[in-house]
Amino acid sequence: MNIDWKNYKPILIPAIKDLHKIDVYEKNGGYKALKKVLSGKSKMTPEEVVNEVKDANIRGRGGAGFNAGLKWSFMPKPDGGPRYLACNGDESEPGTFKDRKIFEYNPHSFIEGAIIAAYAMQIQTIYVYIRGEYRDFIDMMDVAISDAYKKGYLGKDILKSGFSVDMYTHMGAGAYICGEESSLMNSLEGKRGYPRVKPPFPAQKGLWGRPTTINNIETLANVPLVINNGAKWFKGIGAETHPGPVLYGISGHVNRPGVYEYPTGMLLTDLINEVAGGVPGGKKVKAVVPGGSSTPPLRGDSLDGVRMDADSLREAGSMMGTAGICVVDETVDMVDFTWRISGFYHHESCGQCTPCRDGTGWLEKTLDKIRRGDGEMRDIDLLYEICTKMEGRTICALADAAAWPVRYALDRFREDFEARCKKTVYALA
Amino acid sequence: MAEIIIDDKKFEFEEVGKVLQFILDNGMDLPFFCYHPSLSIPANCRQCFIEAGQMVKDRESGEYELDEDGNPVIRWFPKLMTACSLDMADGMVIKTHVTSEKVKVAQADTLELILINHPLDCPICDQAGECPLQIQTYKYGPEGSRFEHKKVHKPKRIQLGPRVILDAERCINCTRCVRFTDEVSKTHQLSIVSRGDKNYPITAEGQVFDDPYSLNTVDICPVGALTSADFRFKARVWEMNQTPSIDVTNGKGVNIDLWTRDNLVMRITPRFNKEVNDHWMPDIGREAYRLFNENRVSKPIIKLDGDQVRSSWNNAFMTVSEKISSVKSDEILLIGSPYASLEDNYAFQNWFNRLGVSDVYFTPHIEKGYGDDLLLVDDHAPNTNGCKALGFKEVDAKKMAKLLSDESYKAVFILGDDLLSRVDIDDSALESKYLVSFATNHTETTKKSDLVIPITSSAEHIGSYINVDERIQRTIPAKETMYTNRKLDLEMSMGRLDHFGTKFDNWVSDKNRVDCIPAWEVLVRIGNEMNLEFNFASPQDVLEDITDKIPALENVSYDRMDKENGIALKLSAPKSVTT
Amino acid sequence: MSKEYTFDKDDLKKIEEIKSRYPEVTPAVMPVLWLAQDKFGHVEPAVQKLVADTLGLPQAHVQGVASFYTQYYKKEKGKFVLDVCTSFSCQICGGYEILDHLENKLGIKAGETTEDGMFSIQSVECLGACGYAPMLQVTNDKYVNNLTTEKVDSLIENLKQGKMPEFESIPMPQHETES
Ligand SMILES: Cc1cc2nc3c(=O)[nH]c(=O)nc-3n(C[C@H](O)[C@H](O)[C@H](O)COP(=O)(O)O)c2cc1C
Ligand code: SF4
Ligand code: SF4
Ligand code: FES
Ligand code: FES
Repeated sequence: MNIDWKNYKPILIPAIKDLHKIDVYEKNGGYKALKKVLSGKSKMTPEEVVNEVKDANIRGRGGAGFNAGLKWSFMPKPDGGPRYLACNGDESEPGTFKDRKIFEYNPHSFIEGAIIAAYAMQIQTIYVYIRGEYRDFIDMMDVAISDAYKKGYLGKDILKSGFSVDMYTHMGAGAYICGEESSLMNSLEGKRGYPRVKPPFPAQKGLWGRPTTINNIETLANVPLVINNGAKWFKGIGAETHPGPVLYGISGHVNRPGVYEYPTGMLLTDLINEVAGGVPGGKKVKAVVPGGSSTPPLRGDSLDGVRMDADSLREAGSMMGTAGICVVDETVDMVDFTWRISGFYHHESCGQCTPCRDGTGWLEKTLDKIRRGDGEMRDIDLLYEICTKMEGRTICALADAAAWPVRYALDRFREDFEARCKKTVYALA
Repeated sequence: MAEIIIDDKKFEFEEVGKVLQFILDNGMDLPFFCYHPSLSIPANCRQCFIEAGQMVKDRESGEYELDEDGNPVIRWFPKLMTACSLDMADGMVIKTHVTSEKVKVAQADTLELILINHPLDCPICDQAGECPLQIQTYKYGPEGSRFEHKKVHKPKRIQLGPRVILDAERCINCTRCVRFTDEVSKTHQLSIVSRGDKNYPITAEGQVFDDPYSLNTVDICPVGALTSADFRFKARVWEMNQTPSIDVTNGKGVNIDLWTRDNLVMRITPRFNKEVNDHWMPDIGREAYRLFNENRVSKPIIKLDGDQVRSSWNNAFMTVSEKISSVKSDEILLIGSPYASLEDNYAFQNWFNRLGVSDVYFTPHIEKGYGDDLLLVDDHAPNTNGCKALGFKEVDAKKMAKLLSDESYKAVFILGDDLLSRVDIDDSALESKYLVSFATNHTETTKKSDLVIPITSSAEHIGSYINVDERIQRTIPAKETMYTNRKLDLEMSMGRLDHFGTKFDNWVSDKNRVDCIPAWEVLVRIGNEMNLEFNFASPQDVLEDITDKIPALENVSYDRMDKENGIALKLSAPKSVTT
Repeated sequence: MSKEYTFDKDDLKKIEEIKSRYPEVTPAVMPVLWLAQDKFGHVEPAVQKLVADTLGLPQAHVQGVASFYTQYYKKEKGKFVLDVCTSFSCQICGGYEILDHLENKLGIKAGETTEDGMFSIQSVECLGACGYAPMLQVTNDKYVNNLTTEKVDSLIENLKQGKMPEFESIPMPQHETES
């Protein structure tokens, strides 16, 4: 696969001045996709929209990488009662800072995508859940939403099509777990952000017990591109099994950190060395976390040929996640790095499930012990065991997300851990 | 019929329920904490792990596919499942810890994780002995602790309300208590606060946990995080005997257990009855344990020159028989009781009938607005319907006052009831009469009585009570009187002393036995004195007489009441059809 | 002495508008807690009670929600709350050094408030600005990115004079090269 990324021009967030303003957005082809779907000769039925999006294979940009159109098709037939779309802008996974670029620079692409999604699933209410720390971005979204109402893209009888939908922002208040879709629903319902037991799945029983679909902000922002240019065109971008443009958030030890838009399937090494300008001071890459803190860290010396798409990353022993890439140079001790990740999950566990509630703390405390120089070799085995006690045994995936970075850091950077552990010496009394 | 295979055994089922409930219903074991059959299912403790799979059916033939060895092909769920939240399905295959090493390990893992932040202060914990965490750790837990870090500290000994105390460090976050106040009592007084391993349940700051059902949270808390302020440190569970009984402080007839030690009732807890009270009971009903222990009338009391003094039983019986002989039958006023058992009321009625007194009056104890939507009803008495079934004449308090002040009555007999506390009557109106009361406790009524005959309480006798919903249920003796002997009375639950002659037992002393006799038996004995043909030998005898005579009670027996958890009656005679 | 907290007419109007966005009243609890915190600076139990009473929700529920989310201040904090991100990208880019610097400068530890009630410091999880590490957020509001100790010093000076930082727009590098 060859990606001519050097000549790539952003399409999801194109470089157009003041694109966040609705007039500018419209002048540059904005809301064309919505018009195409809702009016004129090109008018599409909801099923046609679902099928087109399914065919385009927009894989969820929130972390799980699930085909958005396929997810939409799980919604039951309308029964006259309310149905909901919850847009996930919680963006709280360490290393992830990309949806905010959409809020700031191209909010209407997301709004347009969400309206089309609502139409496709016959939904009347859209909530946009945004983390509470993004106060400024929420304000921007509120302005954009209100502009869209004024122009008649939201509200009653949109473009005289008979289709109506409302959109509201909902502000989080500091809880990573609320990015998990069922926790997000509980949070929206004004409850503690406890993930729900599945089944029932959101499409069957979501917000207020009604059919609901949850999509990431970036996922939805891709929808107008698909409608305007067709699924076939979209599938031609980037990796075959994981197509489309993607927002790569690059952080850590690189010369030019930031959010970049390129096709999927980029070589990790290109992203680090070319796009982000390499590691400061010419230091070696020790580790890369490719898709947010939940994704297993890769060794810096095993990055050759690893591409940013689901298949390639699986092969390399990690995941695409949110495409938030954290680059770690050779000066960092992986014990400290892993300890801090564990601290995050310990802090963010909602506390429902025993393995997660007590396991995350045990991981952090054990790593801290090693970090302080009090660790023993058996603590490394213990860490593995705690991971096993947590993985696959909880209501949501946070426990897995907490265990994997530890398990894989131990697997791939064992020398760092061993170096910090005391060699137990048995003295003869 | 649908089939499910559990640990290689085949079971049939009709109704699709949860796998855990089915396992328990069929007498198998599986450890669990957060699940409660009468609450929503959060599946948060992750203790009830099982392996689950589905036998694969051939699309065309509809038969189960077989592998080369002729065994059914099973598609296993990739992860361990929680049995509490898993719906049963036809062709489902389940492996518990009995047949799956993986399950066994996972169950021990969860217990190890629960215990890392648990204080392990069982020696000073009230829950010890009936603690699911303790029991399951013995059965399924890991051997030692490998947790070497500081445990998370949380508030301890917090008085949440008048009756419940919280030790948040012992809490395992099962959320049963919160779900109870949200879903059953609906006071919403508890919530989990904070997040992660800092989580614990508590009331809002400044709010008192005065939920009238608050003590149910103590019952369902699977650890010693919630304990009863009253019962705390009073007795160890293994020192007590548990006897099924009926609440006699309200017309609902909540099913309860009486917990006794040395002939004292130490506490009362609800007993499951789907038809009456599910798993719950109001806090107020639990206070009744005091009624059985305190302020009891022990030995007859007689009024001499205005003073109440103790008397012998013989003297009491003679006094009654003399009194009765000295008055005419229409000078006797009989007052039955919605608080007394059906057997006692019937014996009372039947005994006096033989003396030519036919009418028995009673005044229900109803307080409008007292009831709630859950388990408390306006009727304070357990057996109002029993009185009605026996054809007693129902009069309200005003009318009762009138009857009591009626000069034509010379002797009044009041059965087991503090009648005078709810009937407004001047003392002087009673002066001209001889007042005999059959009583369990000292009350306003006994204070004014010329003769008080101590009778057994529902904790000491067999008695049936018909609740407001016309359900007849019965009690079993839980404590001895001076005259009962648990070794002879086979109805009583026995302790280790009885079985094995060991002194390390709940029955270590003969103290606290009340000098009282069941009302029906008192009447038999006075009858003997008077040569009256009244020869019941047991409450069973009395009940059989009742069931013979009253059609609505036909076929009622203790055996049926026990087996069927009480019997729903149809008391109200069918309305006559007017043509 | 506990203060009396009340919502005025405008607040109540806003609350009605908030309620109208949802099919039932419970979902209003988070936005109304925010509204209360913006107004009173915290959501101490007395404020939680006000929110509960205003919405007709159980007080315990409001407390359960308020205590789940870290951005609600269940206790009054300093006038400026400095939330220093120490999650992994910030950790490796000097987040802890910034925290140390702040602690030394203000003479308090993370989790504490200066005696004059001006500043509180907290070590917090990822704020979604990983590419601009190390960074901090001021009182649930503005982000200050790409911190250096000098930048921290001038921030403190400005805050002391009541000058809040401005919103900083950080374009995508591709846009910068294009325009
Ligand atoms: C612990 C946890 C945190 C998550 N956080 C986020 C998040 O912040 N944003 C997001 O879009 N998805 C997040 N997800 C994924 C969502 O559950 C869900 O899969 C996603 O929003 C669906 O949208 P998509 O299919 O468009 O990606 C999280 C999942 C888990 C398990
Ligand atoms: S896995 Fe952790 S975060 Fe997820 S529901 Fe369980 S306790 Fe909560
Ligand atoms: S106090 Fe008891 S019942 Fe309540 S959550 Fe804790 S362990 Fe469960
Ligand atoms: S009983 Fe708690 S998870 Fe099943
Ligand atoms: S790690 Fe600090 S902002 Fe993301």
